[in-house]
Amino acid sequence: MAVPTAARRTDVSAEEIGFLTAGPGRAAETALARLIDGGVVRVSRDGLVSAVHQNGHGATTDVETHIHNQVRSKSVRIGQVVQRAANSVKMDALQRDLRSRRLTRSPRPRLGAWWVFLVIGLFLALAAITEPWLLIGTAGFLGTAWYSFGAKPLTRAGRAALAGVTASDRVLAVALEGFRGRVGNQAVGDLFGLSQAVVKMIPRKKKARRMARGGGASGSAAACGSCGSGCGSSSCSSSSSSCGSSSGSSCSSGGSSCGGGGGGD
Amino acid sequence: MAGIKDLGVGIGWRSEIDLTVERLPGVDFVEVVAENLHVGHLPESVTLLLERGVPVLPHAVSLSLGGADPVDLHRVEHLGAVAEAVGAPMVSDHVCFVRAGGLDSGHLMPVPRTRDSLDVLVANVKLAQANLPVPLALENVAALLEWPDGELSEGQFLAELVERTDCWLLVDVANLYANARNIGTDPERFLDEIPLERLAYVHVAGGEQHGDIYHDTHAHAVLPEVLEVLDELCSRVAPPGVLLERDDNYPSDTEIASELAAIRAVVDKHRA
Repeated sequence: MAVPTAARRTDVSAEEIGFLTAGPGRAAETALARLIDGGVVRVSRDGLVSAVHQNGHGATTDVETHIHNQVRSKSVRIGQVVQRAANSVKMDALQRDLRSRRLTRSPRPRLGAWWVFLVIGLFLALAAITEPWLLIGTAGFLGTAWYSFGAKPLTRAGRAALAGVTASDRVLAVALEGFRGRVGNQAVGDLFGLSQAVVKMIPRKKKARRMARGGGASGSAAACGSCGSGCGSSSCSSSSSSCGSSSGSSCSSGGSSCGGGGGGD
Repeated sequence: MAGIKDLGVGIGWRSEIDLTVERLPGVDFVEVVAENLHVGHLPESVTLLLERGVPVLPHAVSLSLGGADPVDLHRVEHLGAVAEAVGAPMVSDHVCFVRAGGLDSGHLMPVPRTRDSLDVLVANVKLAQANLPVPLALENVAALLEWPDGELSEGQFLAELVERTDCWLLVDVANLYANARNIGTDPERFLDEIPLERLAYVHVAGGEQHGDIYHDTHAHAVLPEVLEVLDELCSRVAPPGVLLERDDNYPSDTEIASELAAIRAVVDKHRA
């Protein structure tokens, strides 16, 4: 049985951590995770999300309320729930709120064909072999391109808000890693009793991954979370903790746990 | 079939609460709506329950055995196929009609309790039985109206149906309560009149009062009064099984477990 969410710092909510880590999709996943954790909605084996009672009690944010309203009277596939919430006006409001708190900045345009700039830069660099003054032009060109089209939506404050955040409970695990991610050896979906078939219904967004990478937070939980792998150990900070082990394992902070699994509500 | 084996306390399996049903303690058997299942493509959850040895009973809602239209044998065959797929000891449907004149009511409509109507029902039930691989149990429905010129009480009507077809009875105590509230029938008289030795199992469900009408919604908590009808039934016979039906507005696992525990307490009180 998964251990419910423990109290956490209140300056940035789990939903906001999800947004700062990987954008609207992750924030929507986090809101859904909170609702499951709070027993407000349940997910079936087929990935159908439905309300536990129809009164809406238990939703604590606008995004959570949006999700609850989606599933109040009929079951909806988990992927659709997340997608709709991610594209909702409530999510836009969350984005604006984060921007007004200077945790994110207005997104600069991103160019899918970023490699065009690389090719031009490479061409300039090769040309600089015969015309060395072109090296300055190359550097200037690449710098301008990076500034104009690079994806760095997080401010220093935003990166600071993510620094030190760990998957100390299963909702934060979703915020940092997503339902499809892993905490140590354990799939995050397992913490909610969701099968891999169900979590794979949640669309993986390249855009979200780019944002996390651009978010920097070098070495922080955020960076590990969005990479999914390659960060070495689990997001749990204590060396003695082990999220991946069987029942009763606990992470370092607040006495909460990311071990267990099962029991979505 | 000499008798129905002890089923215990169960719950209606619904896809929305499949994981809940799987992890709830004390679920001895489940019932599935036959029309929602595809033979050869059973839900993973149902397969898991079968692997655990939990009996799965198909319950139909569309045979319309009380109707004047010919029985749709495709529906009967589907019910039988589901029964075979899940290894069910019996199947069930309702004493009602859901179609007439090419229209589908979307509701379980009560049949007139006349001898003519009983003759039609008996013929349809016999035809269904002949095409089913397992015994058939039939359930009393909740009615918002009584047809005029009824010649038999509901208990007498079902008793004669059992006598003439050898079918089993699925008694819904919530429907008995609803009928008592809405059309003034007497649950005790019903229980006096039906052959309790032909009881297959019992349904329990919740409902809600809207104005002057009590609606058997299956979407609200089970009322204590419904459990009192169950208590009355259990004082007369040990039911082979009692099943909680919930079809919408699903509550938390804890609340469902509490309702099952309350049902079990009533059953166990009389067994002790």
